[in-house]
Amino acid sequence: MSKPSDLIQGTLDLLILTTISLEPKHGWAIAKRIEQVSEDALQVTQGALYPALHRLEQQGWIRASWRTTETGREAKFYELTKAGRVQLEKELAQWERLSNAVGLVIRMAEE
Amino acid sequence: MNLRRGWEIVRMRLRSLARRRRVEEDLDREIRFHIEQQIDENLALGMPSADARRAALRKLGALTQIEEECRDMRRTNYIENLWRDLQYALRMLGKNPGFTVVIVLTLALSIGANSAIFSVIDGVLLRPLPYPDADRIVRVFFHSASYAKFPLNPFDFRDFRARNRSFESLAGFTRGDLQLSGTGQPERFAGFQVTAGFFRVLGLHVARGREFNTNDEIEGNGRLVILSDRLWRSKFAADPHILGRKIVLDAQPFTVAGVMPAGTEHPGNEYHGLAHGETVDLWWPFTFRGNPAQRGSHYLEVIGRVKKEVTPAHAQAEMNALIAQLAREHPDALVGWQALVIPLYQEIVGPSQRLLLVLLGAVALVLLIACANAANLLLAKATARQREIAVRAALGAGRARLVQQMLTESLLVALLGGGLAVAIAVVGVKALVSLLPAGFPRAGTIHVNTAVFAFTLLVALATGILFGLAPALQVAHTDPQQGLRDGGRGATSSGRHLRLRSLLVVGEVSLACVLLIGAGLMLRSFVNLLRTDPGFRPEHLLTASISLPDEKYKPLETIRFYDRLLTNLNSVAGIRAAGVGTDLPWTGYDDNVGGFTIEGKKPAAHEEYHARYHVASPDYFRAMGIPLVRGRFFTADDKLDARLALIVNQSMARRYWPNEDALGKRITFDDAPKEKDWMTIVGIVGDVKDKPDSRAAEMALWWPITQTPVSINTMSIAVRGSSDPSLLVNGLREAVRGMDPTLAVADIRAMDQIADANVSTPRFALFLVVLFAGLALTLAAIGMYGVISYSVSQRTHEFGLRMALAAKPCDVQRLVLRQGIRLALLGVALGLAGALALGRVLWSLLYEVSAVDPLTFTSVTLIAIVIAALACYLPARRATAADPMRALRSE
Repeated sequence: MSKPSDLIQGTLDLLILTTISLEPKHGWAIAKRIEQVSEDALQVTQGALYPALHRLEQQGWIRASWRTTETGREAKFYELTKAGRVQLEKELAQWERLSNAVGLVIRMAEE
Repeated sequence: MNLRRGWEIVRMRLRSLARRRRVEEDLDREIRFHIEQQIDENLALGMPSADARRAALRKLGALTQIEEECRDMRRTNYIENLWRDLQYALRMLGKNPGFTVVIVLTLALSIGANSAIFSVIDGVLLRPLPYPDADRIVRVFFHSASYAKFPLNPFDFRDFRARNRSFESLAGFTRGDLQLSGTGQPERFAGFQVTAGFFRVLGLHVARGREFNTNDEIEGNGRLVILSDRLWRSKFAADPHILGRKIVLDAQPFTVAGVMPAGTEHPGNEYHGLAHGETVDLWWPFTFRGNPAQRGSHYLEVIGRVKKEVTPAHAQAEMNALIAQLAREHPDALVGWQALVIPLYQEIVGPSQRLLLVLLGAVALVLLIACANAANLLLAKATARQREIAVRAALGAGRARLVQQMLTESLLVALLGGGLAVAIAVVGVKALVSLLPAGFPRAGTIHVNTAVFAFTLLVALATGILFGLAPALQVAHTDPQQGLRDGGRGATSSGRHLRLRSLLVVGEVSLACVLLIGAGLMLRSFVNLLRTDPGFRPEHLLTASISLPDEKYKPLETIRFYDRLLTNLNSVAGIRAAGVGTDLPWTGYDDNVGGFTIEGKKPAAHEEYHARYHVASPDYFRAMGIPLVRGRFFTADDKLDARLALIVNQSMARRYWPNEDALGKRITFDDAPKEKDWMTIVGIVGDVKDKPDSRAAEMALWWPITQTPVSINTMSIAVRGSSDPSLLVNGLREAVRGMDPTLAVADIRAMDQIADANVSTPRFALFLVVLFAGLALTLAAIGMYGVISYSVSQRTHEFGLRMALAAKPCDVQRLVLRQGIRLALLGVALGLAGALALGRVLWSLLYEVSAVDPLTFTSVTLIAIVIAALACYLPARRATAADPMRALRSE
């Protein structure tokens, strides 16, 4: 089993959900976007992306449809469902709490 | 999870399942699109096209793995796998129909037997009693050094009712059958005299009218009666205006005060006992008569509903305190008595609990054997499939997948067996209920219901896992390399494999032995029971009962009536002897009399002389076939004004006059006896036990009917003929009708029937245990056959070599037999040890057989060895057919 090496699963889910929260995207675009936005700091192992997308789809957070890209190819576009949007907010809040807490601990250790 | 998302998930799963190809194509296209995009990017970066493709693929990772993971994410893999496993399992089972039929049938039989016994247990033990909050209902008894369980004196009861704080309500009841006339042929109906609030204790309510109150307990306040629904419908055409109507019972007018609804169940009772169930048709008020200071006579049974926070133990403690209090007020009456408070549930089902649990144990053992057997057969199959499994393992099937596949097979088999078992249970329960001894508690509540179905399903699943585990684990340990190298003969792992299978057979044999020993002990016990001299002669004997209404028959007229009836009966053709007595043997009679004085003797402190008491006519003993040991029977000369005569049984003679001749000795019931108050023992008769399996006969005495000090309105008639007693029925009816056409001749039964009903419980148990033991033995034999056959097939080569080296066929046969017998002996040894350990469980069900009966243990050992030898015979024959030439050639 290949687990995403750098990212724990929940983080990958969060990244995917955030990435498609503005507009529907296909898998390739999602991978590119994550690399771009994080300035290549977060390398998504491309192989891990698709199982994650399928899991999110199965859980009803996201929904897929076939559309034509600007290059004229057929691609599977993913978008958030209503439940997915709620889930994203929940996960964002959680992430916020966690990163704040971690930051706090680290600052305290530095002082 | 909100509804919409739930629906979304279900939709996705269904889509993944139903449109699998479409979903797969989508996945394929999606991945392809990704690769193409990556190639485009690589090309744009200036890579040569061949490198661009290779780099794109490398970046994505192992394609098949990604696809497989995506499939896993769909969560439908396991369903697809299960489906494939099921198809495969069905194919495998279909390929070996003989094997399948044997396993499914043996499982179905043993699971079905379990379900059938469970139905009985569910109906009798598990279902709550048909009263609201039944767990708060208790029975209250007295007990003393002489009596284990005794009814109460009515005045004692009345004081308890007034003074206790433990009970929400407390009521007394005592048997009082009534004869209904004026509605066709006179008929006697089971009735009870009950105190106020009897139904309130049970939590039951009248369908019409009212329950009795304390006002009704006062004599002379008018005779009231409450009818059962059944009686109201059958005798009064469900008359809606029945309340207040006068009906004639025992030649007296009674006013109908109420009707109980259908389903009103009698809680069962001890004294002139009637079984639990819808057995009662009439309830009438109990009236407190006589002098409240005289409290010697005990005949009121008591039932109560304890308050919510009160336990039976608390109630009992309070009752004992009240006894102590009453004993101070009535110094003579309550000496030596203690209260006994028993939950009603225990009182009703207690006696059958052990029997049912023993049966459940027996049938569970059968199931265990069937499991071992199925495991054994599946192991054999798994061995034959070792190569196939090795190939699968080599091709990358994980251990978990292989185990899952094997378990699917065993579960399928178990569920097939379970399905068939339901059918067997339905038939079995019908048969069981029809076989149940008369008066078995709650027989009416035994049905195959949802609980039984659930039980069957659970047992089937558990069985499937249990017997599937051994072969599945065996498979999990298959080393693909070795499996492939062996070329499917599975020779290398056969050592460990055979050991496992041998172990299973030893287990089967030992369990079967436990059952066989149980069956053997019960058989011996039953034979003993049948062989025991009952103390009377039940053949050619007709019995019945008549009840003379108090109003019409004063004591002297009663004596005259029976005298004339007996004279008339003696002239009926075919009747050789006719007698009347207060009771018949083995009918649950246990009236005791205590506190009499024996001339020249004193009872031990806190004890009193006591005995069962009866009244009998001169010819009663002759008609019953009870032998005279010494002295004489009663005669017509034992008149009221003659010297009072008494007959005692041997037990009483031995107990109270040890090393003396009881004949001519005297006892009296008077505290200050005059000469005429002494009763002289004129005869000693043989002992008759309360029940055929009672440990010993109780002490008993008889008064002649002509001098009886007690009421004899209800008497049992015994008429001895010389052939079929049913031929005497008409003669008896005619004789009674000729004297009083309003009298009902009730309880007409041949004494044979009564005797037979008394051994029906042990016979029922024996029948089932023998059935289960037979099943167990058959299963063990199949298991033994399977293992020995397998071992022979493994050793064909060796046997061939031995024969080539001049071993005779009988030598080879002996080798095989020895192997089987060794397993059997090991199993028998374990089984005997198990039976010894379990002996205590059976003991209370046995009659005059030790739980370590040497005869049974020896016979079972022999049977097990003979069966083992028989099971080995065919494989042994096959072993000698090994061809020495082929063995040598293949070397």
